[in-house]
Amino acid sequence: MAEHAHHHQPYPDDMWVFPRRETAAQDLVSRTIAPISRYRIALIITGVLLALGVVGFIARAATDGFDDHAPWGYYMAVFSFLFMITGAAPLVAVGFRFTKSHWRRPLSRISELFAVLGVLNVLMFIPLLMVLPPLKNPEVVGHQLEIRRSIWFGGPIGSPYWWDMLGVVGLAVLGMAILWLSAMPDLAGAKLTATGFRRKLYGLLAGRWYGSKRQWNIQKAGLAMLGAFYFMFLLFVQFIVASEFGMALVPGWKDSIFPPLYTIVSFQSSLATILLVLFILRKWGGYEQYIGVSPFWSASKILFALTMLWTYHLWAFFITFWYGRLQVEQNILKYFLFESYGWVFFVNVVFSFFTPFFILLWNPVRKKAWGAPLAACFILVGTLAFNIRIFVGAFNAGHTFDHFLETVPPPAWPDLWDIFMVGGFIGGAVFIYLLAARVFPILSVWEIKEGALYQKMENFMHGRYMVLAKPE
Amino acid sequence: MQEGRALTPTQINRDLLRPILEQPKWFWPAVFVLSLIVLVGVSVAGYMINRGLGVTGLNRPVAWAFMITNFVFWIGISHAGVMLSAILRLAKAEWRRPATRAAEVLTIFALSTALTMPIMHTGRPWRAIYWLFPYDFARGVWPSVRSPLVWDPSAIMTYLTSSTLFVLIALVPDIAVLRDHTTGVAHRIYSLLSLGWQGNARQWKFQVVAGVLLSALILPVFVSVHSIVSWDFGMSVTVKAWHSTTFAPYFVIGAVHSGVSAVVFVMIILRQIYGWQDYIRKEHIDALGRLLIVVATAWFYFLCMEIIFGIYGREADELAMREMQFLQYPWNVLMIIFAGITYFLPVALWLPRTFRRNLWIMSFACISVNVGMWLERYLIIVPGLARKQVFTFTWQTYMPSWVELTLVLSTFGLVSLLLLLFSRVFPLIPLYDIKEGEFLRTSVQVGRRTVPATIRED
Repeated sequence: MAEHAHHHQPYPDDMWVFPRRETAAQDLVSRTIAPISRYRIALIITGVLLALGVVGFIARAATDGFDDHAPWGYYMAVFSFLFMITGAAPLVAVGFRFTKSHWRRPLSRISELFAVLGVLNVLMFIPLLMVLPPLKNPEVVGHQLEIRRSIWFGGPIGSPYWWDMLGVVGLAVLGMAILWLSAMPDLAGAKLTATGFRRKLYGLLAGRWYGSKRQWNIQKAGLAMLGAFYFMFLLFVQFIVASEFGMALVPGWKDSIFPPLYTIVSFQSSLATILLVLFILRKWGGYEQYIGVSPFWSASKILFALTMLWTYHLWAFFITFWYGRLQVEQNILKYFLFESYGWVFFVNVVFSFFTPFFILLWNPVRKKAWGAPLAACFILVGTLAFNIRIFVGAFNAGHTFDHFLETVPPPAWPDLWDIFMVGGFIGGAVFIYLLAARVFPILSVWEIKEGALYQKMENFMHGRYMVLAKPE
Repeated sequence: MQEGRALTPTQINRDLLRPILEQPKWFWPAVFVLSLIVLVGVSVAGYMINRGLGVTGLNRPVAWAFMITNFVFWIGISHAGVMLSAILRLAKAEWRRPATRAAEVLTIFALSTALTMPIMHTGRPWRAIYWLFPYDFARGVWPSVRSPLVWDPSAIMTYLTSSTLFVLIALVPDIAVLRDHTTGVAHRIYSLLSLGWQGNARQWKFQVVAGVLLSALILPVFVSVHSIVSWDFGMSVTVKAWHSTTFAPYFVIGAVHSGVSAVVFVMIILRQIYGWQDYIRKEHIDALGRLLIVVATAWFYFLCMEIIFGIYGREADELAMREMQFLQYPWNVLMIIFAGITYFLPVALWLPRTFRRNLWIMSFACISVNVGMWLERYLIIVPGLARKQVFTFTWQTYMPSWVELTLVLSTFGLVSLLLLLFSRVFPLIPLYDIKEGEFLRTSVQVGRRTVPATIRED
């Protein structure tokens, strides 16, 4: 158990401070090696869910095969749901490390750890490539397009399949490189106390880390460069997923704001997920002394801004289509927003915007540890609705090679296998995350220790205040 | 983020009030030159109104060109104020302090200047009122409230009002300092403007709360202004390359890009002419440079989306327009110059820390961005209109006349003149904000190193 800095300096009770650096490392590592009983229960439940997901997937493949993409709409929706959360999550660590925000320290590793789910993303992506229609129309009927609308235009070699795959695999590799580089100092520290296989594993992952000045400089520069590259690569891959598996499958849908909207939803949902994990760790994981209210309060403002941005982008899309009065655009609005998927859109807007907006609007609520996580729960439901609306809609929007959406197609509702896949793969993602948390310390030990170095209490005017250093 | 020496409140008052209390020698010659530029602009505007829009290069179908480009450009510059002041204030970024006032004031003057452009562009400015207000009840003639051309002035006037209020509230404590440092008529005027400010705890509380509230309230207005300007174009389905869903965020982020660059340039000028090296420090320019890398990259992303999805539809008329934009002279050359000087060149210059701290390089990069952003608006407006019609025999090109060139150049003179006059009457760096920063400034000892730190108020 880490000895809290409160014991040594007169901090006010309502002020959260970083724990003492001398004991933080040992405490955090020991928690990783010997988890609490709740962890095992969560692992069993999510493991069962994953099995159900696999059953659903096998049943779907056995009944419908991979020739037609329409039956795979819900599978695509759950893939996109997981991909947008896990793909953007490492950026939370990267972004707030770049802005040198102290409050980020407890949530850095939580966000980087989502990179391990890149493996799940890659595995789930393979069947989607199998159902993706080719660029060239194999059988032109009537006035259909010979080559469908696609971001690959004329089609460079291997497009769309190999390039799409390369994007998802590249992102997974980059994400894990960030996690590995960031965790290296902690793993080197953990190696000293671990035994058996774990010691060997930590030794392998930590490499020759001794904590020399040169190594620290390389690590920080490497994290900055990898982070910048990851950010750009993420935008590109999200652009691929949103356009290739959403827009391109809907005849006549040409919408330049959709990839940015997809990215905003992914930023919003990934931050929401991280805050939820942070809250769970604080409330039930025994990390209360490491996770104060400050990360929730600060991140809630960002979450609020992202919620507003989501609505702004959606509005910009809606108003341009609505005002244009073109038949194709009116049909797309009816399909995705008002008629076929009207109810899903309603859930999406209420949960992704209205509810979090009214929760996060109030500073007293934002200042509570439960405020932002409560909004996060709604956001995650809204994000799932967003993905169902877009991708189930796109996979069931008729013939991809048609010029435009001449009629409004009916909605596609889920069957049992779809429900198995949606619930199962979400559970599977949690299962993998929990396993990864057994290997890597869930809190970034070196960042917590660094934070402890950069703080002190000082008398100022009539009060005593926390002082936080911001090194260049 | 704390370079330079520690400053006392007396020293801050003395340094930042010097341009107001002691008249610089170059002040009146500079005012004279800038006034002359504005006078030429006003005369040319008068000439154009007298002779009609035929003296410009406008034609059918290119009915919007230089003046509307300039309108969008100045609206864009006005976005710096809120970006630097409201957002950074809410984010509690320490390095915002010397930049906020200049950004806010630039917002007001840029907005006012922008407004003159569409009014002049009507050709008969007095008739502009018909588009905004109902004027013939008997015949049931109403302005179309569903038109972005009506939303535009509403949004701009709301933004102008709120920005002015924002500046005034932030100015009150500084005006009170001026009141205490002046005599005679000046003292009486400043007394009136300081609204009885005495700097007691209650007044400070109100001032801070008002500042935070206005910061939050002005944000939606800030976003709406350039979004609506973008919808002037985006709502049109007949002009190819305009009917794009991404226009609103693309315009807003572009506005922030050009606006923040303009503020950096203004700050560098202020630092040099008033000798404010202790206040506008290289670390501030460095921080703004880093912010600009992020903003520029976000803008570039939206630019890519706009272009990719322009071609994505593979519609013949849009492809013809894009072909003209990218492959035909002089548009192709202009496109290359635009992309180069708006993104690739400045971002390459902002990446190395040493360059971000070199004021010459930063000035060059910021001017480059603004020339590029002006060109961007031109390249959106003119090529689209030139190919607006379905029939090729009605396709037209456009060349600006000397009238439009003079009008555009004179707007730069107008904004510079207004800034100069403002700096003679009110401090362009907020005194109280700098003093607060100095009070909160401290350091933390980490091993053998002393690391700059800030007292956290919450």
